[in-house]
Amino acid sequence: MTSTLKGITLKGSAELVAEFFSFGINSILYQRGIYPPETFTRVTHYDMSLQLTTDPKLKNYLTNVVSQLKEWLFECTVQKLVLVITCLETNEVLERWQFDIECDKSAKESSVPREKSIKTIQDEIRSVIRQITATVTFLPLLEMPCAFDLLVYTDKDLVVPEKWEESGPQIINQSEEVRLRSFTTSIHKVNSMVAYKRTDSV
Amino acid sequence: MDLEDDTTVLTTLKSFNSFISRPEHPQRPSDHSAGSGNLQTQYKRSMELLEAADRVHSKNRYLQLDQEKKQMELSHKRARFELEKVASDSARDLEHEVDRNQELLGRIKKLEERETEAAKKLSEQVEANCALRKNLGGLNKKLEERDSRLSTSNQAISSLKDEIRELKQKTQNKDSTISTQTLENQELQEQLDLQRRKYQEVSQLCQSLQAAQTSCSEHIIKIKELETRLAFQEQDIAIVKTVKSEVARVPDLEKELKRLRDDNAFLRESRENCSLLKEEVEGLRRKLERMEKTKEELVNMELEKEKLQSWENLGQSTGLNIRKPEDLSREVIQIQQREIALKEQNYTLNSRVRSVERLQAELRAEVSQQRSKTLEEQKKREMQDALVRRLQKRVLLLTKERDGMRAILESYDSELAPTEYSPQLSKRLREAEDILQKTQNHNAEMEVCGPTLVELEMEALKKQQASAADSSSLATKEEVSILRQKIEDLEAERQRLEEQNNILEMRLERNNLQGDYDPVKTRVLHLKMNPTSVAKQQRQQEVESLREEVTHLRELVRSLQDGGALVHSQDDSSMHSSSLDLRKQMESSELRNQRLKEVFQRKIQEFRTVCYVLTGYQIDITTENQYRLTSVYAEHMDDSLLFKKTGPMGGSNGSMQLMETEFSKTLGEMVALHLHHQKSIPAFLSAVTLDLFSRQTTI
Repeated sequence: MTSTLKGITLKGSAELVAEFFSFGINSILYQRGIYPPETFTRVTHYDMSLQLTTDPKLKNYLTNVVSQLKEWLFECTVQKLVLVITCLETNEVLERWQFDIECDKSAKESSVPREKSIKTIQDEIRSVIRQITATVTFLPLLEMPCAFDLLVYTDKDLVVPEKWEESGPQIINQSEEVRLRSFTTSIHKVNSMVAYKRTDSV
Repeated sequence: MDLEDDTTVLTTLKSFNSFISRPEHPQRPSDHSAGSGNLQTQYKRSMELLEAADRVHSKNRYLQLDQEKKQMELSHKRARFELEKVASDSARDLEHEVDRNQELLGRIKKLEERETEAAKKLSEQVEANCALRKNLGGLNKKLEERDSRLSTSNQAISSLKDEIRELKQKTQNKDSTISTQTLENQELQEQLDLQRRKYQEVSQLCQSLQAAQTSCSEHIIKIKELETRLAFQEQDIAIVKTVKSEVARVPDLEKELKRLRDDNAFLRESRENCSLLKEEVEGLRRKLERMEKTKEELVNMELEKEKLQSWENLGQSTGLNIRKPEDLSREVIQIQQREIALKEQNYTLNSRVRSVERLQAELRAEVSQQRSKTLEEQKKREMQDALVRRLQKRVLLLTKERDGMRAILESYDSELAPTEYSPQLSKRLREAEDILQKTQNHNAEMEVCGPTLVELEMEALKKQQASAADSSSLATKEEVSILRQKIEDLEAERQRLEEQNNILEMRLERNNLQGDYDPVKTRVLHLKMNPTSVAKQQRQQEVESLREEVTHLRELVRSLQDGGALVHSQDDSSMHSSSLDLRKQMESSELRNQRLKEVFQRKIQEFRTVCYVLTGYQIDITTENQYRLTSVYAEHMDDSLLFKKTGPMGGSNGSMQLMETEFSKTLGEMVALHLHHQKSIPAFLSAVTLDLFSRQTTI
């Protein structure tokens, strides 16, 4: 951590948020069964046990995305991060895990650290991840083989880096939305929510 | 005899049959001759009948006797059979006895042979005894010789012992001399040690002497130094004397010093005390500070408590059910929300007031403008009044003129006769009158119009003035009411718009939740190589490959249906043929295996039977490494010998061991002889066969 115990800088905030995304995405993939559970290992972080993937391809992909995301978080040009779960058979979007990121752009000019301890931030993050885990109880079962994709909503004036390309928003038609908890590092505020395809059976 | 019996039975049967068939014939003539009825014939016939009855009777008796005879014969036969059986049994017993006799004879023979052997051995033993006796004599002689040698050697030993004693004495003497010498040696060594010590002492003295010499020279140098020092000292003494006078003052100074020291010590102590006191003071101050802090805290706490009590009271008084801080916070939040709402209202009202004030200011400005206007108007009116006056004057003047003109005209008229006036004059007159009338009209108009206009203007001005005068009252009130209405309208509109805005925001939020975005401001990015696209590609590839396979298979099916499958399914057929070949090979190998098994079984059976026949033993493998041998001549089925193979497994040179069975227990002698003594299993086995054979076939 680059930030001190008392305050938090923009860089530290970006790192914290990126770390949260890494763990959050991993736990969503584990909870939703996108990848087989035997490819995950147990890791203790945020004073709780989390699942991290061991699939080398997936690991590589996630590190790529998260490192790029960290850069954008540091530049305060990212607005949203969306994890889209698509059914492979019908090419239909079944779930969207959306993380709205509100950046305090004034933090870019002044390098004064904000007064918020990492512990309280981590507490907030922990409760968000707990909620993600708890959502499995009401989300519909994914019966068909699915794959996931990560969309990043950025500012329009951003230069698209190599290996990245523009994409559609991948909106679910006829969706139910559930807002989840949010947390803030006092520089980045992350509101999380999940939208899922309404099933006809209910 | 049996045959004869049979024949007799047959003859009797024949006679019986003939007898039974005979009476039929006599009955017929009796039927035919019933009509004749002569006594002769009747007598004859009765005689015949009697005879026949006798005959039957006799025959019956004969038969009875015959049966008895047969029974007798049967019993006789049985008796004969029993006798024969007994005879055969006795014969068998006899044979057995004979066999046993033979066996016993064989044994007797064997025993006789053994006896002869034993006699032979006895004679041999006797001979050996004689030889041994001879040896004994020889040995006795040798013993005597040895005894004599022993005595001589004993003598030699005694002489040697004497010598040993002498030698021992000598050695003792020598030992004593050696001890004395060693003692001397020790003394000498001690002396030597003493000498050495002395030498060391001397050498030490020498060294000390040298050291003394060197010290002496040093001392001399020192003395010189001291002399020079002395000289210095003398000089010093002079100085010292001068100093001493000064020194005389020293006690005073010392006293002073002591005093000062005492003072110093006292001061130091006081300083220490002071510092202690300071520390104490500091401690106390801190305490005091703490106390003050605590007091303040206490006061704060009390205040808080009071507050809380007041809160509680408030809760009780308001009945808002404030029990927990959460409730309180909720209440506070509600109150804050209310406050915010009220503030908003306040703000709106303030803004309204401001707008009203602004309007007022505007109105004031207008009023002032109006006033200035009225002033101007008044000025104008005054001007107009002046004008009017002037005009009236002029009118008066003009009327006067007109009157004058009329008088002149009338004078003219009077002067001139009505007929005398010329048309020209009349014309002029008319013209003049017209002009006059016009002017009069104008005047009238002027008179009519001017005041009305002015009055209107005046009224308007007056109104304005009035409105300006009580601006706060009527006009402003109306305006304010209008404005208020407007404001209310606007407020209503605002609320409506707000609601709309809220609805739109909700929709936007919903859209936002669903992932909608503003394409002007944002852009959505993702990695080109994301898991979804990879998975989709894989899927597509799979699907394509499957499709290809399906088409291929369809073609195959079609071609098969068409019957031209041979061309397309060459590889398949080759596969098939190869599999068929393999199957055939397998079958043939299995067949071979089976044949081999059969052959082996046959051969083994043959081998076993051959072994059985040749060696007289049936060999069975009961468990691994255990072989059961059953002899051909075994008296019972269970009589068998058990052998166990020991030693290395599978090795050809493993030794066999006989296991104990019921049968082997009875063969103690043979076991002892052939196995323990001769160590030959074949010999043992053949002995057993011979034994069993001899037992089976006793003559």
